Amino acid sequence: MASSIAVAQVRPVNPALQFLKIVPGVLLLAAVGYAGKLLEANVGKYAKAHHWTFPNIEYVLWAILLGLAISNTVGVPEIFRAGVATYEFWLKAGIVLLGARFLLGDVLKLGGTSLALVGIEIVGAIAFMTFLGRVFGLKPKLTSLLAVGSAVCGVSAIIATQGAIEADEEDSSFAIAAILALGALSLFTFPLIGHALHLNDHAYGVWSGLAVDNTAEAAAAGALYSDAAGKLAVLTKTTRNALIGFVVLAYAFYWASRGQAQAVGNKAKFLWQKFPKFVLGFLIISTLATAAFFSKEQIGALANLSRWAFLLTFAGVGLRTNFKALSKQGLKPFAVGAIGEVAIAGFTLGLVLAAQRIFGW
Amino acid sequence: MSEQRQALAPVKQRGFSIDAWAVLLAFVLAALVRAGVFKHIPW
Repeated sequence: MASSIAVAQVRPVNPALQFLKIVPGVLLLAAVGYAGKLLEANVGKYAKAHHWTFPNIEYVLWAILLGLAISNTVGVPEIFRAGVATYEFWLKAGIVLLGARFLLGDVLKLGGTSLALVGIEIVGAIAFMTFLGRVFGLKPKLTSLLAVGSAVCGVSAIIATQGAIEADEEDSSFAIAAILALGALSLFTFPLIGHALHLNDHAYGVWSGLAVDNTAEAAAAGALYSDAAGKLAVLTKTTRNALIGFVVLAYAFYWASRGQAQAVGNKAKFLWQKFPKFVLGFLIISTLATAAFFSKEQIGALANLSRWAFLLTFAGVGLRTNFKALSKQGLKPFAVGAIGEVAIAGFTLGLVLAAQRIFGW
Repeated sequence: MSEQRQALAPVKQRGFSIDAWAVLLAFVLAALVRAGVFKHIPW
């Protein structure tokens, strides 16, 4: 009996069981995403047939709204949760496949411009969030997490930094909740502001990629505007993601120098561990597409695979956003995040408008 | 005591990260498209 208990404690998780556990949630993502696609195709037709004035709502917004409706009314049952949590996996696979739609020259050209803008954004965002955290009297490590989350790439950056600077779990969940709540709001506000300012697809896409923190929300905010804006939002956000290791390393050094975190040993290993591998995947597929490894039809097929992967992501963005749960995380971090995000959105909008003039986008 | 220490020691992550699995899936799909297994993906 004792031995059977011991065996049960050390038994590794069966990969087949793990796979089966995610199937219901992935099917829910697909169902919600596909329902969004069907609604886009049919609601407009129905409204036209009945002579109603109804705005053309893209599948991206339908998928997010359906997900939000489920998550905030009946909730996501336990059986679906593991699968719904895979939405980031589909996002990363989608970004790699999206590489087929970019020629390497365009990536280097756009990525170079984005890199310069991202550099300015990161420095400005970290400085401003640190200042706000001090003004509001937040704990220094919570301020660091909020600064990294809003400067680089949302949840992934917060999780990476939490480990590196040995911050509390509680601080991390405050920062993640603030970033996610503000990301959800950006889905509705960014397209409205973009249209009000008559931003073209290029300027809007770069702005979304610079100012929206979580990658899934940045991709969704871009795609809500147009397909071209979605592509540029992903490229700009990917450039931001590529810098995550450097920012986390800088924070790790800072907290280690104050004796409040372990010193970083091998810096190259640290940077490689924190570097998002999907950025490399994106560049490899883009290089292959540039070298004519894929035919035109094959590039079309890869682009559509990327769209299907993003469809699952957008459904997941809605399904995992529960406003009630987010509101329980405390007002102060949210207030700091909100003020910071509004300032960063304004600052990056100014950057993009200046770049638009300089580069003639 | 030693057992307790063993239990508290951080578990070293084995295998690929989610990032790496996502890249692998994308590469496999790209290879299948290139090999002509998937000729047309509808949208």
